[in-house]
Amino acid sequence: MTQVLVGVDTGGTFTDFVLVANGSVRVHKVLSTPDNPARAILQGLAELGVGQELAAVVHGSTVATNAVLERKGVPTGLITTAGFRDVLEIGRQTRPALYDLRVERQPPLVPRERRLEVVERLDERGGVLTPLDPDSVAAAVAVLREAGVTSVAVCLLFSFANPAHERAVAEAARAAGLHVSASHEVLPEFREYERTSTVVLNAYVAPLMDRYLARLEAELPPGVPLRIMQSNGGSISAATARREAARTLLSGPAAGVVGAAYVAEASGFTQTITFDMGGTSTDVALIDGAITETTDGQIGGYPSKLPMIDIHTVGAGGGSIAWFDTGGALRVGPTSAGADPGPAAYGRGGEAPTVTDANVVLGRLIPEGFLGGTMALDVDAARRALAPVAARLGTSLEAAALGIVRIANANMEAAIRVISVARGHDPRRFTLVAFGGAGPLHACELAADLRIPRVLIPSTPGVLSALGMLAADVVKDYVRTVMVPAAEAAAVVESVLAELAARGQAELAAEGLPAERITIEPMLDLRYVGQSYELVVPYTGDMAAAVAAFHAAHERRFGYSDPNEPVQVVNCRVKARGLADRPALPRQPRDATARPEPTMHRPVVFTGADGPEVQDTPIYDRATLRPGATFRGPAVVTQFDTTTVVPPGWGGTVDAVGNLILEPAPREGARDAD
Amino acid sequence: MQTEPTVTVDPVSLEIFRSALTAIAEEMGAVLTRSGYSPNIKERRDFSCALFDRQGRLLAQAAHIPVHLGAMPDSMAAALATFDTFAPGDVVALNDPFAGGTHLPDITLISPIYVTVDGDPLLIGFAANRAHHADVGGMSAGSMPVASEIYQEGIIIPPIKLWEAGQPNRAALALLLRNVRTPDERRGDLTAQVAANRTAERRLQELVERYGLATVEAHGEALIAYAERITRATIEQIPDGVYRFTDYLDDDGIGDRPLPIVATVTVQGGTLTVDFTGSAPEAAGSINAVAAVAKSAVYYVVRCLMPPDAPMNHGTFAPVTVHAPAGTVVNARPPRPVAGGNVECSQRITDAVLGALAQALPDVIPAASQGTMNNVTAGGMDPRTGQPFAYYETMGGGMGARKGLDGLSGVHVHMSNTLNTPVEAFEYAYPMRIAAYRLRDGSGGAGAARGGDGLEREIAFTVPTEVTLLTERRRLAPWGLHGGEPGAPGENLLVRDGAVTRLPGKVRFTAQPGDRLVIRSPGGGGWGKP
Repeated sequence: MTQVLVGVDTGGTFTDFVLVANGSVRVHKVLSTPDNPARAILQGLAELGVGQELAAVVHGSTVATNAVLERKGVPTGLITTAGFRDVLEIGRQTRPALYDLRVERQPPLVPRERRLEVVERLDERGGVLTPLDPDSVAAAVAVLREAGVTSVAVCLLFSFANPAHERAVAEAARAAGLHVSASHEVLPEFREYERTSTVVLNAYVAPLMDRYLARLEAELPPGVPLRIMQSNGGSISAATARREAARTLLSGPAAGVVGAAYVAEASGFTQTITFDMGGTSTDVALIDGAITETTDGQIGGYPSKLPMIDIHTVGAGGGSIAWFDTGGALRVGPTSAGADPGPAAYGRGGEAPTVTDANVVLGRLIPEGFLGGTMALDVDAARRALAPVAARLGTSLEAAALGIVRIANANMEAAIRVISVARGHDPRRFTLVAFGGAGPLHACELAADLRIPRVLIPSTPGVLSALGMLAADVVKDYVRTVMVPAAEAAAVVESVLAELAARGQAELAAEGLPAERITIEPMLDLRYVGQSYELVVPYTGDMAAAVAAFHAAHERRFGYSDPNEPVQVVNCRVKARGLADRPALPRQPRDATARPEPTMHRPVVFTGADGPEVQDTPIYDRATLRPGATFRGPAVVTQFDTTTVVPPGWGGTVDAVGNLILEPAPREGARDAD
Repeated sequence: MQTEPTVTVDPVSLEIFRSALTAIAEEMGAVLTRSGYSPNIKERRDFSCALFDRQGRLLAQAAHIPVHLGAMPDSMAAALATFDTFAPGDVVALNDPFAGGTHLPDITLISPIYVTVDGDPLLIGFAANRAHHADVGGMSAGSMPVASEIYQEGIIIPPIKLWEAGQPNRAALALLLRNVRTPDERRGDLTAQVAANRTAERRLQELVERYGLATVEAHGEALIAYAERITRATIEQIPDGVYRFTDYLDDDGIGDRPLPIVATVTVQGGTLTVDFTGSAPEAAGSINAVAAVAKSAVYYVVRCLMPPDAPMNHGTFAPVTVHAPAGTVVNARPPRPVAGGNVECSQRITDAVLGALAQALPDVIPAASQGTMNNVTAGGMDPRTGQPFAYYETMGGGMGARKGLDGLSGVHVHMSNTLNTPVEAFEYAYPMRIAAYRLRDGSGGAGAARGGDGLEREIAFTVPTEVTLLTERRRLAPWGLHGGEPGAPGENLLVRDGAVTRLPGKVRFTAQPGDRLVIRSPGGGGWGKP
């Protein structure tokens, strides 16, 4: 009997479910219940008719994320080394905008009166310069309790080198009934501001996650394990997530990338760039065999150094508004029409010309096919919205619409260049995996601009996050700063990595993983002595090999390296991975005779040699495109939550797992008869 | 010879090239940040990156640090004035404040960019970046001394080709590195700077490959006109008139008299002129600015009035004229010392221009901010490594209050936005400790909106250390506006054997093990009656 797994992704509007059992995949959606997200989850599970037979529920929660973005976490306190309580507020002493006389900064999550100091001080090797004064600890805890604080972050200088003081403070606070997040547990890594910010984020949301997950676990069928998605693209047990909630802050987008990588891999593509374009923002990420991670992330303006999938977000999407600046250039975004009123074509009173309106004017969004026909598109409103743009450009409406799409694509191209070209990756080696409501509309033209040879539209682009949860390994990340010259590092690196690996083994075993499914990936953060940014390289037990890998990585990333320069080991890292029993996506034999039947033909505008060119274009319903079906552009493929545009010169085929693969077709004089 | 294709520039293509050229300058900055060695570069982003066309006109400059706004074009001009030809792989280096530089620690590298047309190299433009090096020799570690002539401030590099056709000029490089305290770090920084230029080179070549040279050049031209239109539209929003304001530097570190900076701003239609006639004569100490710095300060103020992502190129400041009389503190002549021009005089020039414009735009202009960068340099021998160390850092402070909006606390203001060095990174790198780092309570000026608070940073010394402070607003407080009170002036205190001594704003001394240096940065002025 195969196991039954459910991935559940709580979104703003819908809670998505993907159920895998017996080699089949079922997709389900229910309306989200923001007041208590668990209600929608239980309802969905009931509607899917699954209960105790579930092998696991993997869940992506927005409880922690929303608490930070809406500043609705619990009353939080902070305890620091004497003299440093303001580090959280000072940050890196920069203002967020250089040339803005009215610039503002995010207020810190812990206000000053709840930031307390204890007398103690360590040096950079963990040696005690000033012993911990227990009276100062008792006084700080008392003040916080008095202030009504329920959760406290503890971050002392150099605690990663010697956690004794921090541990004592944490124990005192726990003894007083406070929920405690200690920096040597959450992130034993140097740079006090980023570490403090990370541990404060954890303290701010952990009690909420604790409460939410406790309730959800209690209401799930007994014995069904609950796993929670993390920002690093792996899952952890609910028990861990309740303690280390900051690890889940960006789990939704992370799961989307994992899902995209998973479906692309099923089609045989392991080098992909994911392109998730929605209404107000666009996420892009790069997968070069493995998903790219970063420890320089932030949420809502607050830095977090916990590993997360390196997702680059730009504030541009289908709702971005086109406008002329004072110099006369046509601009798209950053202002968005949002969901309400939304683009003019939504007919909710929006009048500003948006990217979506441009797509409507071009005939690329099919009024009858939008959201499965459940939402009418007002073509006239879109044309009215674009009229002033066309008038100012002195062109037709269609030319204006093409201009808006071109600029939107240029913005998207810039975002993709940041994660590819600027990091030494050649886009020509990648497949563009497009999803989100607007991604597949723009993907082919964007790919052409970047010389990406192939576009993949997943068969279920609307539930990639929920699908990604099912494909996610159980992952735990460990780090410790060591700061030693590479030439002298072997012993300390071996011992720290062994300790982190042992913790990883033990904690994954505690999550119920058998030893044969656990892998340990040791890594080192290296830099040239004197630099401030590190590159992560794998450690295979051979320091010389790690150093050589560093020189090569530096060359690739920055265009130079110097094998004679001394190298320093900054951090030791271990990624402990419990391999998921990835459900195989169902495959169907390709049917070469599967002739796609258009549901209709429509005039759609494309860029011709001399401006806009109207082409009579077949419109296909994705549901009718069976594996093996091939067609040529121009074409438009509609499905419930997205629309795919296949420009002239491109060809499409549906592969065995149902993914739509689009590639530039070899130029031919004559078209196939259709 | 092919016939030139006709190129059309329209509002759509304009936007596409604007974003492409800006992205190149920004990517250069990413390379520098990630691979530089000086804390000033890697941790604090004290650098600027720019792209020029083949005539040396600025095409794009990333928004890295305002004090370089007006200075990059001068560097380019100095390189063009010095050399008639540039071969592929040449790199021109300079830091001479009187020939395209600003102050000696800022070393600018300029690389020509070529494409191959019909088998021949064709010059299409230049990449340039300027970065603040942690030490360029001279009388004090960190090269931000209290000096009386420029020769004391470090090694002067007139425009020279430090690389020729891809090969390092070994003699020049050896001479340069022999004159600085931390040569390995310098070499690393220079390598990172070359890498940044190479990145720009590749990207501009790709752009030409994709769109064709004629199209790229036509859009460069169009973007210059476009930027100028935006600036004119901005200036037209300021009421016509003549506005004058005088602000003062505390002293030049040698004498103790305040030095006036007089800004007379004339707005007429779409043009703005700032005349600094009446400002103090050039000073004996290191507080002098060169004309490029005065221009940067004026450009910064104009840029603050422009839309958030306005382009930075040759056209941006065409409608702005700066008159800085030679021989004054805002346009010093050789061999005056100028180390503090970028960091201190530039802030006061900004304050004077803002003060003048506050009369024209009373609701827009904030009260005075801390008006200093609180420069701290320290050097000595690190007993842990047996190697010399050189530390340089600047400190944030209080921002002036805005109408209906408090000033920010503990941030860099106006001409700088460099990051602090993390305490833990500091203690790994130097044989000193940070004993406290906190907001300076109550230092912001009272008002309907409060000025931001300054910072307090306390450094404890463990080995004999040569320390130089170059700080301002220690005597004369940042002013309030419309009845708001001034912010508290800054303070520099030395704690030795339990006794506290107040140090001058500009001072050099040797700290002994056990000494503590407490630096308190100024608060911002308040806005409106409290």
